[in-house]
Amino acid sequence: MPRETSSTASNSPVAGSGPASGDATTTRAGRGWLWSLLGGLVILGGIAAIPTLGSDTLTSNWTIITMYIVLAQSWNFIGGFTGYSAFGNVTFFGIGAYAVAVSFLSNPKVISPYDPQRPQQFFIGLLAGVVISAIFAFLIGLPTLRLKGHYFAIATLGTSVAVEEIVTQRDVAGSGGLASPPFPPLSLHIAFYYGFVALALVCLLLTTWLARSKFGYALVAIRENEQAAQTLGIATTWYKVGAYVLSAIPTAIAGGIYAYYSSGFEPATVFTSSISVTMVLVTFLGGSGTVLGPIIGAIIFEYASQQFALSSGQATSVFGYHFGSDTLLGVAIIIVAIALPQGLVRVVQEFTRRPVAGGAGASGNSRANQFVEGVRRVRKFIAANGI
Amino acid sequence: MSANLSPPTASETILELQHVTKRYGGLPAVDDVSFAVQRGEVLGVIGPNGAGKSTMVSLIGGSAAPTSGKVLFQGQAINTLPPHRRAHLGIGRTFQLTQPFTGLDIRENVMVGAFFGRRGLSRSQALHVADEVLARVGLAHKATLKGDQLTVADRKRLEVARALAMDPRILLLDEVMAGLTPAEVTDAIELIRSINRDGVTVLVVEHIVRAIASVSDRVLVLHHGRKIAEDTPDTVLSDPKVIEAYLGERYAKQKQAEKDPAQPASEWMEGLA
Ligand SMILES: Nc1ncnc2c1ncn2[C@@H]1O[C@H](COP(=O)(O)OP(=O)(O)O)[C@@H](O)[C@H]1O
Ligand SMILES: [Mg+2]
Repeated sequence: MPRETSSTASNSPVAGSGPASGDATTTRAGRGWLWSLLGGLVILGGIAAIPTLGSDTLTSNWTIITMYIVLAQSWNFIGGFTGYSAFGNVTFFGIGAYAVAVSFLSNPKVISPYDPQRPQQFFIGLLAGVVISAIFAFLIGLPTLRLKGHYFAIATLGTSVAVEEIVTQRDVAGSGGLASPPFPPLSLHIAFYYGFVALALVCLLLTTWLARSKFGYALVAIRENEQAAQTLGIATTWYKVGAYVLSAIPTAIAGGIYAYYSSGFEPATVFTSSISVTMVLVTFLGGSGTVLGPIIGAIIFEYASQQFALSSGQATSVFGYHFGSDTLLGVAIIIVAIALPQGLVRVVQEFTRRPVAGGAGASGNSRANQFVEGVRRVRKFIAANGI
Repeated sequence: MSANLSPPTASETILELQHVTKRYGGLPAVDDVSFAVQRGEVLGVIGPNGAGKSTMVSLIGGSAAPTSGKVLFQGQAINTLPPHRRAHLGIGRTFQLTQPFTGLDIRENVMVGAFFGRRGLSRSQALHVADEVLARVGLAHKATLKGDQLTVADRKRLEVARALAMDPRILLLDEVMAGLTPAEVTDAIELIRSINRDGVTVLVVEHIVRAIASVSDRVLVLHHGRKIAEDTPDTVLSDPKVIEAYLGERYAKQKQAEKDPAQPASEWMEGLA
C-alpha cells in the first residue's frame, strides 16, 4: 500500500531536522491569536465593568453596543471566515425574538405585562429560537450556499423579507406580528447586560478557536479558493452549512434576549435589513475574518451612531433634512468600502508588523524611525487595498 | 509496495474511463474517450490546444461531471462523487490555471492538502508534511510568501506540492511544466520520476513533447476531444495521425513545418507549445 507508506518513508533530511520542524506549531499570523484573545478579554472586561459606574443611560447604551458585538461576531463566521456575504442574518435575530415572544404567550399566566415573571418561559423561548434558527439556517444554507457572491447575498436578503412577511401575515405573537412580551422588572436589566457580555465572550472564544482549528482552516480555504479547497479534500458544502448554522445560533440568542429586553416590538423592528447591513459593515470596519475586528468595529460604529443620533436629535435638521443614524450607516459604508476594505485591525497589524528579518538596515532602531516605517507601511497597505 | 518496479506489465488497472463524453453547450470537449491507467505507470497525455486534456483531468478529479460514460477508480464508479470524496480515495490533481489560496502563505497552502487530503493528521503533523513537500518541490525558501506573491513557475510548483501533500495514489498533472526553463524542466522530470518511484501513479498532461517522451511509459493523444492514439512514446510520436493532428494546427498558425519534414517529430512538436 504505497498510500500509507510513501510519505513517512520519504523523510527528507531537510524537513526532518532544523528550524523547519521546530517552527511547526506556529501558523497563520504566528501567535497573533493569543494577543487577539487577550485584547478581546480586556475589552469585554472593560464592558463588563461599565454598569458599576452607575449610569443607567450608559448601561442601556452599552447593552445595545454589546448586542451588536455579538451580531458582528456571529456574522464573521459565515461572512468573515468563509467569505460568504450573508445579507439576511437578521432573520435569525428575528426568529430568536419571536420564539421568546411566542413562548411567553403560550403560558397564559404571564400574558399580562405585570404578572410575576416565569423565567422558564424565557429560557424555553431562547432554546426554541436556537433550534428553529439552526434548522432554518441548515435548510436555507443547503441550497443557497451553492450560489456565489452577489447571488448568495441577494438570496439571503430575500429570506429576511420573506420571514418578516410570514410573521406579519400569520399574526405571530400578536395581530400583525405586534409582539408584547411582559415588561421585565428593572432588576433584570443588568441580567440582560451580562447576558450579552457572556454571549460576546463565548463568541470570542469560538472565534479564537476557529482561527486555529481544522474547521477554521476549512472555512478560510473555502474563502480563499473554493475549487482548490474541494480538490484538496474539503467537504465544502458541509463546512459552509456548518459555518452558517454557527452564525445563526448566537444571533438567535441575541434576538431572544433583545425581545425580553425591549418588551415590545414588531416585525419591522427585528427583521429590518439595516441590522443585517450593520453586522456586515461593522465587521468590515473592524476587520472581517479576524478575532478582534467585529468587536472593535461594533464598538466604534455603534458608539458613534448613538452619539450621532443624540446630537442630530437636538440639532434638528441640515438643509431641511433630518439626519438620523441611517445616514451615518450610509456614510460609513462608503468610507469603509473606499478606504478600509481590510478593516482597522489589519491596518494596526500592518503598522506593528516587525519588518522581515534581514531587511536592509535603513529602518534603524529608534522609536521615531519605527513609527515612520509603520506609517509608510500603512499608507502602502491602504493604497494597495482601498481607493 | 513493489507494484511500481515493472509498471507496464504488472497490469492492475487503477483508473479507467469508459466512453466518457463531456459536452459544453452541445460541443463535445471530450468525445467518447476510453482508456485505462495501470497502477504504478506514468501515462502522458498530449494534444493540441483545446483538445480536451484539461477537461479530461477535471472529469477524473470531479470538478466537472461527464455528460455520458463512466469513470472508474480502483473498480469503483466515481462519476457522481464530489471532488473531496475523490481526493479521499487518493486522486490528487493540479490546475493548469493555478488556484492558490491567495491569502494564505505557501506553507499553509500545502498544509491544507495534508490536513484535509489525508485522515487523522494533527495540525503540526500536517505542517511537518508541508515542510517536507515544499523542500521536495524546491519551494522551501518561499514558504512564508503569500499565495499571490509567486511567479508562474512557482505557482505550478505549489500546485504540485499541494496535491503531493495529500499523499495521492494517482497524481494528475495538468501542464505543470509550462513556463519553466529547460533546466527546471529537467528537475521537474526528475521530480515526477521520484514521485512515481514512491509508488504513485502519474497522469501527466504536457505540451512539452520532450518531457512527455522522456517521462511517460505510455502516451495518449487527444485531438478535438477524441483519443487518436495510445501507445509507447516512440510509436505515438511517429504515428501519421498524430503528426497530422499537430500539423493541422501548425498550418493554421504558420507554414514553417512544411520546409523541414525530416525534423524528428518531438522537435517540431515542441514549437507548437
Ligand atoms: N467550462 C467550460 N465551458 C465551456 N467550454 C469549455 C469549458 N472548459 C473547456 N471548454 C472547451 O472545451 C474544449 C477543450 O478545452 P480544454 O479541456 O481546456 O483543452 P486543453 O486542455 O486540451 O487545451 C475547448 O474548446 C474549450 O473551449
Ligand atoms: Mg489545458
